[in-house]
Order: sequence, then C-alpha cells, then structure tokens
Amino acid sequence: METKIDARGMACPKPVILTKKAMDNGRKGEEICVLVDNTIAVENLRKLAASQKADYKFRKKGEKEYEVILTVQQETDEAKVQETVELENCSIKTGKKTVVVLSSDKMGEGEEKLGKILIKGFVYALTQLEQLPSAVLFYNSGAFLSCEDSPVLEDLKLLEEEGVEICTCGTCLDFYGLKEKLAVGNVVNMYQIVQTQVQADLILKP
Amino acid sequence: MRERVKRLVLSFSTTTQAMAAEQWFQRKNLPGRLIPLPGSISAECGLAWCTEIEQKRTVEQAAKEGAIQIQGIHEVMLYERK
Repeated sequence: METKIDARGMACPKPVILTKKAMDNGRKGEEICVLVDNTIAVENLRKLAASQKADYKFRKKGEKEYEVILTVQQETDEAKVQETVELENCSIKTGKKTVVVLSSDKMGEGEEKLGKILIKGFVYALTQLEQLPSAVLFYNSGAFLSCEDSPVLEDLKLLEEEGVEICTCGTCLDFYGLKEKLAVGNVVNMYQIVQTQVQADLILKP
Repeated sequence: MRERVKRLVLSFSTTTQAMAAEQWFQRKNLPGRLIPLPGSISAECGLAWCTEIEQKRTVEQAAKEGAIQIQGIHEVMLYERK
C-alpha cells in the first residue's frame, strides 16, 4: 500500500507534519511517497525517517521536485516515537523577514575612507549569514553600491542568486545619473521601498 | 549560488596595517580581498586579507617585501559565489 503526499509549495515544517501523520496511520511496510520542492524538506524528512526507524530513499525528479519515499517499519504503538525531530534550517521559511537598508555608500559617520571600507565589510558579512535577509534596499548614495564599479557588486550578485531581492531607488538612480549603470537587482519606487520595510520583521540599517 | 570554500585568511594587529596590506597586495596584483575578521579567528573587531589557500607562500613573500606585519595566517571555511 502507498500513500501519496504532495507537499510542494508548503512551508517548513508542514511537509514533515503531514508525513508524520500519514506514518502514524500507516501499517508496517506501507510506503509514504512525499513530493517536495526543496532540499531542506528532503533533509527534514530524512531526519523524521531516522527518528521513526522508517526506511528512507529519495530521488530528484526535476529542477525543484524531489520524491521522498519512507517505508513504515514499526506501527505507532510499537515504535519508540521521538516527537521532537530537529528540523534543518526550518527558520528559512518561517523565520524573521529581515530587510537591510543601505542609505549611504559609507558606513557610519567620520572618515570617508573608513566608511567605505566598513560598508564593504558589512555587505560581505551579509553573504556569510546562515539565514540571508529577504531584501536589501538601496537609496540616496547607497544607490552607488548596486551600480557598475561598485566594490560590493560580486557580493550583491551572490545575494541575488540566493534569492535576496536587491532593490534600488529609481529616483536616486535618476538623480545621480546612474540609470544606465544599475548592475544588479531591480529599480523600485518609494511605495515599494515603504511596503518592503512595513512588511519586514526586522530592519537592519548600518 | 554560494558555496562554502576553504580560504586563507591573514589577520593584522591594526586596521591601518590591514589597509596597508590591501593596498600593497593590490599593487602586487595578488588575488584576494579585505574582509571583516571572521569570528572563528577572533572575537575582536578587525579587518583581514582573504585569499586562496594556494597563495600562502606568495602572500607571505609579498608581505615581507612590503614590510607588512602579518599577525596570523588561518584557514577558514567561508561562503563564496560559485
């Protein structure tokens, strides 16, 4: 017998909860086939399988499609159920939504040379976070950072590739004559700048 | 996408030493960049030169030539763009 669960598009830890429920209702030897769209969910299902002493196998079916098959080995009443499965990086989906605001091409007040070194270090440090911010907003002289010849361009490209929204103020690009020089991310207007910050759980402004 | 890679990280005793090192290494066309001192090396605030592991000898030699005082040489796993 086989139970199928389509957990694609579901936020962590929902795929695990649904799978656990199906396992609890399953008979020994039953296969629970779960479709998910990210490797974190695959890893969490592997942990669930280990905690429930279930057989586990998975295969990648497509770009964002993974099939995980868990075979129930012990029925609930005989299994030593470990209720707490430590879920890998669950916070990626459910954690704080952090928005970084860079309103200057320098960090802090004082010596300009130091301010420029510090902002480079700040953007680099963002790339080293386990949980990346959801967006980085650039306005006023901060707009120089997302344009050609910016010293942090490579870091911003990394962030964008990892799904971080890189948003630069259109008015600012226009004012500084940078419209043609934007090298990463999108142009946004003031409404989007406000909206992005309103929706954030945390605003990080160096 | 980003990946974790092992990098050579040079620490310095002062910020100005780190800035001088950056200037000198760039003048020598050495690959690398200035980064904030990784927490795994020290909890202190500072700047460090980050480069490829294979650059160890070259960078040590260049530092000697430019009278750059290196405080420590470390191997650290860091996220980088693939």
